[in-house]
Amino acid sequence: MIKNNFIESSISGGLSFLKESVFSDDYASQKGFLQSLDPRIKTATLLLFVVQVLLTKQIVVLLCLYAVSLLLAFLSKIHLGFFLKRTWVFIPLFSLFIAFPAIFSIFTPGETLATLKIAGLELIVTRQGLSGAALFVTRVITSVSFVVLLSTTTKHFKLLKVLRIFGIPQVFVMTLGMCYRYIFLFVGIIENTYLAIKSRVGTKVHSKRGQRIVASNIASLYQRSYRLNEDVYQAMLSRGYNGEPLVLNNFKAGLRDWLWLLCVLTIFVTLTIA
Amino acid sequence: MDNLIFELKNVFFSYLERFPALSDVNLNIRPGEKLTVVGANGSGKSTLLHMLDGLIFPGRGTIKAFGADLKEGVFNDENFSKNFRRKVGLIFQNPDVQLFCPTAKEDIIFGPLQLGIEKEEIENRLEELTGVLNLKDLLDRPPHQLSVGEKRKVALASTLIIDPDVLILDEPTAGLDPLTTRHIINLLVQSNDSGKTIIISTHDLRLAEEISDIIYVFSPGKRIVKSGKPEEILSDGQLLRDNNLIHSYSHKHKNTTHIHPHLH
Ligand SMILES: Nc1ncnc2c1ncn2[C@@H]1O[C@H](COP(=O)(O)OP(=O)(O)OP(=O)(O)O)[C@@H](O)[C@H]1O
Ligand SMILES: [Mg+2]
Repeated sequence: MIKNNFIESSISGGLSFLKESVFSDDYASQKGFLQSLDPRIKTATLLLFVVQVLLTKQIVVLLCLYAVSLLLAFLSKIHLGFFLKRTWVFIPLFSLFIAFPAIFSIFTPGETLATLKIAGLELIVTRQGLSGAALFVTRVITSVSFVVLLSTTTKHFKLLKVLRIFGIPQVFVMTLGMCYRYIFLFVGIIENTYLAIKSRVGTKVHSKRGQRIVASNIASLYQRSYRLNEDVYQAMLSRGYNGEPLVLNNFKAGLRDWLWLLCVLTIFVTLTIA
Repeated sequence: MDNLIFELKNVFFSYLERFPALSDVNLNIRPGEKLTVVGANGSGKSTLLHMLDGLIFPGRGTIKAFGADLKEGVFNDENFSKNFRRKVGLIFQNPDVQLFCPTAKEDIIFGPLQLGIEKEEIENRLEELTGVLNLKDLLDRPPHQLSVGEKRKVALASTLIIDPDVLILDEPTAGLDPLTTRHIINLLVQSNDSGKTIIISTHDLRLAEEISDIIYVFSPGKRIVKSGKPEEILSDGQLLRDNNLIHSYSHKHKNTTHIHPHLH
C-alpha cells in the first residue's frame, strides 16, 4: 500500500519535474532582462561567462560571478527558489564522486585540518583539499547557473536556431530537436500508460503482477514512441519542414544588446588579464 | 481528363512490407471535388490520405499529383516540395502527432514559416483563424496540456493557415462537440465553395452525406469496394453493414430515401 503510493508519487513527481524543466516555457515568455535580449547575444554572453568560470582559479571571483548569475536570475523574473532548485540538483552528484574524496589527504596531500576516524581508518582532511573541493563546487554551481539561465529564458526553438547561426552542424541541431520531441512524446506515453494500467487494474497492484505489467510496458513503450516519433516527423514534413526549423521573430540586436555585450566583454577581458 | 489533381492506378501498399494497407486502389480526384472515404477501422483510409499527402509512396502502382509522378525522390527537389506542401495540406487523425511545438501558437505558424509565407500575412491569417475556431485562450498554452478536442482544433488551424488548394482531413470531427463540428463542416463547405478540393476520411455517415460529391467505401480487405454519389452509397444497407458502417439492428427502421442509419 505504502509502497504503491510511494511509487505512484515518485512517478508523477518525476514526470512533472521533467515536464517543468524541459517543456515549461513560463520563464521564457516572461518580460525580464535576459528575455529581452537578442537570443544570439544572450547565448554568446552567457557562454562567455561559463568560459570565464572555467578559467578562474580564485574562489572570490567565482563567488562574484555566482552573485552575477543570481542577480541575472532576479532581473529575469526567475523565482529564486526555482532557480536554486534547478541548479543545486546537480551538486550532490558531483560533490559525492569528485569533490568529497578530494578533501582527504589520500587525494590531496597538504596541511592537516582535521582527522576523522571511521571504522579504524584514519582520514585526514587537508586545507588544500578542502579549498580545492570548495573551488570545484563553486565552479560547477556557477557554470550550471549560467547554463540554466540560458535554457530557462530562451524558447527551445530559438535556442536551436542560435546554434545553427553559431555554425553548429545541422545534423547536430536536428538531433537535439528530435531528442526534445522524443522526450515530449515519451512523457505523454508514460503518463497515459500509467493511467491506463491504473484504470484497468487499480492502484493496488499486486507487486508480482505490477512488475510484469511494467516490464511489458517498457518494451512496448520504446516501440510506441518510435512509431510516434516517426509519425511526428511526417507531420513536420507535411507542413513543409525541410530540416531547418524557422522561427517567427527574426532576431534583431538593439542598442542595449550591444551595450550588454560590451559590458560582458569588459568583465571577461579584465578578469582574464588580471 | 488532363485536369486531375490526383490519379492513382493499381496502387498497393504495405507497412514494413508485411502489413498490407492498400490493395489495388484506383482513384481520380478532380479540382474542386468533395470526396469522402469511409470504411471500418484498419481498412486503409489513413494510409490513403498519407499517400495523397506525399508522405508514403506506393509499393506497386503509380500515383500522380498535378500531373507529376509522386515518387520517393521528388521531394528532394526543394521547389517541388515547397510547391506541393503549399498546395496540399493534411490534418492527421491523431492530433498529438501534429503538435510538437512548445505552444499552440508556434504550432499553428510552423507550416507557413517553413514555407516562407510573409510574416504579416501569417499574422493576419492567424488572427482570422483564431476568431473562426475560437482559439484565443489556447494560443499560449503548450499543446500537450489541451483536451483532445482542443488539440484537434489547433491541429486544424495549423493546416488551414497554410491555405492549401487541397485539404485532406483524417476524421476531422471525431471527438468534437456538436457546435464545433458544425463550425468545421461550415468552414469546409465554405472553402469548397471558394474552389478548394476537400478529401475527408470519416466514420460519420451524416458528415459524409452532407459534405461529399462522391463517397469511396473501403472494405476490410483494404480495397475500394464501391464508389458513388452519397444517395447511392447510403441507401445500400447491405454494403454499409458489410463494412461496419452501420449496426444490423438499425435496419429495423425501414428508411426509404433519406437515411441516417447509424444514428439509432
Ligand atoms: N505504422 C504501421 N505499421 C504497421 N502497420 C500499420 C501501420 N499503420 C497502419 N498499419 C496497418 O495498415 C492497415 C490500414 O491502416 P490505416 O491506419 O490506414 O486504417 P484506417 O482505415 O485509417 O483505420 P481507422 O479508422 O482506425 O483510423 C491496418 O491494418 C493497420 O494495422
Ligand atoms: Mg485512420
